[in-house]
Amino acid sequence: MNKATIKRITGRTEFWIFLVLVIMCIGIQIASGGQLFESSTVVTILRAMVVDGMFAMICLVVMVSGGFDLSFPAVAALAYALSTTICVNNGWCNTNPLIGFLLAIVIGAVLGMLNGWIIANFKLNTMIITLGTQTFFIGITMGLLELKEITSTLPVGFRTFGESYLFEVTNSAGLRSTMTTMFIPFVLLCIITSFVLNKTMFGRALYAIGGNEVSAERAGYNVKRVKFILYTVVGASAGFIGMIRVCMARQSIPKAMVGKEMTIIPAVILGGASIFGGEGSVFGTVCAVGIITVVSNSMLLMGIDSYWQDFFNGLVILVGVTVSAIQAMRRRK
Amino acid sequence: MSEYLLEMTGICKSFSGVHALKNVNFKVRPGKVMCLAGENGCGKSTLVKIISGVYTKDEGEVLFEGKPITKITPAEATKLGIQVIYQDLSIFPNLTVMENLAINSEITAGKKLVNRKRWEATAKEALSKIGYNIDLNAKMGELSVADKQLVAICRALLFDAKLIIMDEPTTALTKKEVDALFKTARQLRDSGIAIMFISHKTEEIFEISDDVCIMRNGENVFAGPTAELTPQQFTYHMTGRELTDDHFIPKNVSKEPVLKTEHLTLKDKFEDVSFELHKGEILGITGLLGSGRTELALSLFGLEHPKEGTITLNGEQVKISNPIKAQKLKIGYVPEDRLTEGLCLQQPISDNITLSSLKRLSNAIGLIKNQDILDDANIWKEKFSIKTDDVRKFASTLSGGNQQKIVLSKWLSNDLDVLILNGPTVGVDVGAKQDIHALVHNLANEGLAVIIISDDLSEVVVNCSRVIVMKEGRIVGEMTGDDITENNILDIIR
Repeated sequence: MNKATIKRITGRTEFWIFLVLVIMCIGIQIASGGQLFESSTVVTILRAMVVDGMFAMICLVVMVSGGFDLSFPAVAALAYALSTTICVNNGWCNTNPLIGFLLAIVIGAVLGMLNGWIIANFKLNTMIITLGTQTFFIGITMGLLELKEITSTLPVGFRTFGESYLFEVTNSAGLRSTMTTMFIPFVLLCIITSFVLNKTMFGRALYAIGGNEVSAERAGYNVKRVKFILYTVVGASAGFIGMIRVCMARQSIPKAMVGKEMTIIPAVILGGASIFGGEGSVFGTVCAVGIITVVSNSMLLMGIDSYWQDFFNGLVILVGVTVSAIQAMRRRK
Repeated sequence: MSEYLLEMTGICKSFSGVHALKNVNFKVRPGKVMCLAGENGCGKSTLVKIISGVYTKDEGEVLFEGKPITKITPAEATKLGIQVIYQDLSIFPNLTVMENLAINSEITAGKKLVNRKRWEATAKEALSKIGYNIDLNAKMGELSVADKQLVAICRALLFDAKLIIMDEPTTALTKKEVDALFKTARQLRDSGIAIMFISHKTEEIFEISDDVCIMRNGENVFAGPTAELTPQQFTYHMTGRELTDDHFIPKNVSKEPVLKTEHLTLKDKFEDVSFELHKGEILGITGLLGSGRTELALSLFGLEHPKEGTITLNGEQVKISNPIKAQKLKIGYVPEDRLTEGLCLQQPISDNITLSSLKRLSNAIGLIKNQDILDDANIWKEKFSIKTDDVRKFASTLSGGNQQKIVLSKWLSNDLDVLILNGPTVGVDVGAKQDIHALVHNLANEGLAVIIISDDLSEVVVNCSRVIVMKEGRIVGEMTGDDITENNILDIIR
């Protein structure tokens, strides 16, 4: 490796975030007396990363394009709450959860289309638009449709799918942990996102638009179309991820998603996505979600009051955003 | 085939009833450099946008390679071989050089997937067109403006360009970089490509162009070989008035210096700088980029903090710790990059003018009347003949020269002793330049002490009654009166 290559690697946020993750894990391993690298703890942490990690992927692609999506939790909530309600009312999904997932994806796509249409056609700040649609979607969920919590009546298909697992581990103290099947869609989504971002012209369009929208248009990209497709796909994915969450939690609670964007977006920024667009990678994002999950998990492990969780999340927002801003400032010079 | 690559006859274009272009005629020959010259707002950009297909003309005829073109989209213009390199270069700062070079042709080819090998081959091919060498994996945003420009040129060449239009390419370049750019332009010209160069810089136009088309207020007032024009005629055509390059002769220079520095030193920037500044004179500080001239100016305004040496103001030793202190000491500073440092573009002109004098305009408990702001702004509008019909319009609606006037008035609306101008007419066209110079002369004659920091030697020569030349952080020469000539300064700098 020559000097330039090393400099390029160390100049990337992903490198540092990975380093932080590794050092932190070693630190916690020592502080907790070797509990972190117990097989059961590792499985629990990976399990906890599934939903947040998937949400982080859709946040990442939006941020790469220079936008913000605050509405994805509301989209997910409306999609899964409506989908499960329909399934319960019709007695569907008692063996196979497929219809429920399809319904959620379609509902998510329709809501995403609304976001995409507004964002593509009116050159407004995406944060403001999605803040508006977020409130609007919550209004539909709670007010218009009056969707209720579904817990014990949740179709069996969802429940069994959520309880299914890949393998089981037992730690030295005899504590049992299962690796959920939902880990597979998480890994798949990461691979797909990475492929789209790096290997397709659509993905490069997202980086191009995030870097300089006017240039992207002059270069020949149909910016409006790219944005419309992006937000539609993001909406559909949000619906899908919402259903994964329903299966894992074995309940559908319309309000459970409120405020989710405020923990996911900072994680994505921490992972190297720029608040000004055009930067960010799957690897960095996964590492950042890893950091947040490991910390919150280890706090429980070490018996630290859960209020510190908020403290830490706030710190992550500050650090992530500051680093992002400093990098942008350096680039401008 | 026609002798001309592009012929435009009787082109008219109006926007909501206002004529932007009136009966414009000009021709571009293949293998020649053609300059499109004119002051800001004369219709140059509109014309370019008609050629590149962004706008549609209302009337007139366009012939490209002898064939008439009626309606054209940007994509079709590209296919014909017309490439525009815009002032912002249309690059992606977050992507690598390779991606920047290859992305346009990949999109045009309708590719869906990324093939790194093909991208790299395309990028290498592009660079080989002008024999230019650069790290393909470098991030575009980290390159210098000159390098970005060369990458943009290489990218344009990928499309078998027959006509390359460059929109004010030299604005952000140093003299050396301009020379390199011109070398590339000549190389392209010799290979048979027509180059259309948009500029308002007289020297550059005479240096590079074979033909010139001068526009004023939407009409072309001259079109023909550059050799037929003298620089004086050129300036006359561009501005519509005879400009005189009067040397500034100070009328009443104070005996005592208003500002004096002794052995001022800022680590790695400048060393042992001592000079005096009197009321009524215009002192030029010049030198190459990196000579310490800008840092020296910033030190006098409290933005840099020299560790050694003293600054004396009106006989009293002072410490200028920040810009607020500097303002209190009646020192004003107009930055080089007026757009990013000196103005709030998305704010009304009136607010910009009065920004630094709000204290004077506010009453005992700190409240401000809107009418007072407007009145004050209108006074300055008249005084500086700022071209606007309403001071409540945004500053972004003004041309570069008029924006510079606002920045000046912003400072002058406070009572000043010393005014520091850093590159006061960078990016300003000839006419507005003249206005700004005249204004500065008046100010000096009214008793203000002015420092002009500039590497535009003609500007220094015309305006300054005394010049200090800096090199590698030290003062290497000083001249006054008739000794101030471009050659004398160059002798010391080199």
